[in-house]
Amino acid sequence: MLKGKGVSSGIGLGNVVVLKKVERNVDKKTIENEQIEHELERLHMALNEVAGETEAQLKNISGTEADIMQAYLMIVQDPTLITETENIIKNDKYNVEYAVEVGFNNVAQIFQNMDDEYMASRARDIIDIKNRVLAKLLNEKNVDLSNLKPNTIIVATELTTSETAKLDFKNVSGIITEIGGENSHTSIMARTHSIPAITKVDNITNILKDGETVAINGILGEIYINPTPEEKQKLLAIQNELNVEKLELEKYKNEKTVTKDGTKVHLYSNIGILKDVELAIKNTAEGIGLFRSEFLYMDSDTMPTEESQFEVYKSVAEKMNGKEVIIRTLDIGGDKELKYLKLEKDANPFLGYRAIRLCLDNLPLFKTQLRAILRASAFGKIEIMFPMISSIDELRDAKKVLEDCKKELDGENIEYDKNIKVGIMIEIPSAALIADKLAKECAFFSIGTNDLIQYTVAVERGNEKISKLYTKFHPAVIKLIKMAIDGAHSANIICGMCGEAAGDPLFIPILIGLGLDEFSMNSNSLLKARMTINNLEKEKCEKITEEVLKMSSAVEVEERLKEFKAN
Amino acid sequence: MVKEKVILKNETGLHARPAGELAKKAASFKSSIKLNVNGKVVDAKSILAIMSAGIKYNTEIEIECDGEDENEALAEIVKDFKNNFGE
Repeated sequence: MLKGKGVSSGIGLGNVVVLKKVERNVDKKTIENEQIEHELERLHMALNEVAGETEAQLKNISGTEADIMQAYLMIVQDPTLITETENIIKNDKYNVEYAVEVGFNNVAQIFQNMDDEYMASRARDIIDIKNRVLAKLLNEKNVDLSNLKPNTIIVATELTTSETAKLDFKNVSGIITEIGGENSHTSIMARTHSIPAITKVDNITNILKDGETVAINGILGEIYINPTPEEKQKLLAIQNELNVEKLELEKYKNEKTVTKDGTKVHLYSNIGILKDVELAIKNTAEGIGLFRSEFLYMDSDTMPTEESQFEVYKSVAEKMNGKEVIIRTLDIGGDKELKYLKLEKDANPFLGYRAIRLCLDNLPLFKTQLRAILRASAFGKIEIMFPMISSIDELRDAKKVLEDCKKELDGENIEYDKNIKVGIMIEIPSAALIADKLAKECAFFSIGTNDLIQYTVAVERGNEKISKLYTKFHPAVIKLIKMAIDGAHSANIICGMCGEAAGDPLFIPILIGLGLDEFSMNSNSLLKARMTINNLEKEKCEKITEEVLKMSSAVEVEERLKEFKAN
Repeated sequence: MVKEKVILKNETGLHARPAGELAKKAASFKSSIKLNVNGKVVDAKSILAIMSAGIKYNTEIEIECDGEDENEALAEIVKDFKNNFGE
């Protein structure tokens, strides 16, 4: 048995697919006249194979995805591209691999040089197709992440955001990676989709081979290669226990979120991509408390346009059917970079040029997003949330930009929700400390615990050596949360929370005790949170909170809360 | 060979979806189909050629069809242009 760090619970049994980055060498060789025919034949075979695969994919998809595949299909059959490539074989007498490399690049270059985002994306399509054609010619095995066999265990060094976004989740039984932490994107995505995941397993991409049978326990981080019947039996028993728990949770799907003594709270989902909305609805989310809009930017090779953003926001709003959708404006910088936005390296990215700071300094970028959100607000109940607010001036400046955008839309006769609510993230201690002042100038708060903890105790989340110091049970963190909630209530506005702490059954009693109005979390934690809340009494929560607020150590707080939960 | 002149009335020009529609339609005919635009000759069966020509709103385009089904092809494509490719 191998061991790593379990980051998403559950039992997975399936066959391995190893994702390895292939180093590709395209040789440049001259060919003889009599070889021309053969090379042309190989070109057409490869093109036909790619076209055939694309046609097959088209059968299973619809909407935007289908439009993209349709464009792929036209490109792979495009006479300009084919003639360009054929000429390199016929006239310049080079081998087919080299011809594809150069021919496709030439055509892509034409698009790259056009000053238009749409056209630049077509260049990317051409390069994508080139890679698929070359993979065929060079007999590389190409894993199509969006079309996997049932019961696949993905094994990779690390999954990129765009790879995770493509993943065919229904057929993935588990994920094992060499690098990553509990809060890396892959881990969060895995938990969101209930896929067992283990990380920090050294050299696993070389240890495991494609097709091998593997069982994993995402709770303990255990990996069994070719598991024995006994091992399978043991894991199955754990799986059964989990299933029983799941069944228990199902009962809460039709219930309101309300404590035993009648205090109602909002239970919302955090989402990153459009697909997540389905999961939120399935788990009976009462709204979207955090739409991390940065995924729109991270999954794109060029700056997303107003139109493309509008479509996504509108679609989320419509799918949520009148329920609240809080869109957080671009939160980039720090740990999340964008390739097309050339940012200088910050010596200390988490204290650097990011989120609202970057947006206020790049007005065209900021306004494009705000206009897209505003336009979408005509199709549902959308609200805007600014991240990383540390002072009242930033809030005022951001609101001014929003007003400018509204005026622009008024001038263009474009509809939007004139009463759109504007709120802020409370994730910097300075904001929590002046929460009462900030509350007078916005419509809601949402406490981002992940960052608030890291800024309060000065611990970087990803650093394993000091991760013990990173704890929401620190009395200072609880004190700041209290300040934020009290500040909000002093101005009669709502206070929510969208960090992982909002879904932790151990922590929820304090949040109820402090009077938190809205709990937003990964869709998978939702039912468990509802079960927790519905079995609590606000009065008792207030008492335990009072007790905890007097404590001086995080360990003491955690122990006391464990005791409270057990009773 | 048959020819006819049209003026592009799609406001966003001949890119994205209409280019795809045109290429698909052109490819369904046996005749060779060319667009003469701003002194350039563009293969109407190639979505990449059409898009990279960057044909803008209000541009005059001469459609040239040559082959066994040239009349039918010309009529169909002129019709599509006049319908602004359904936009």
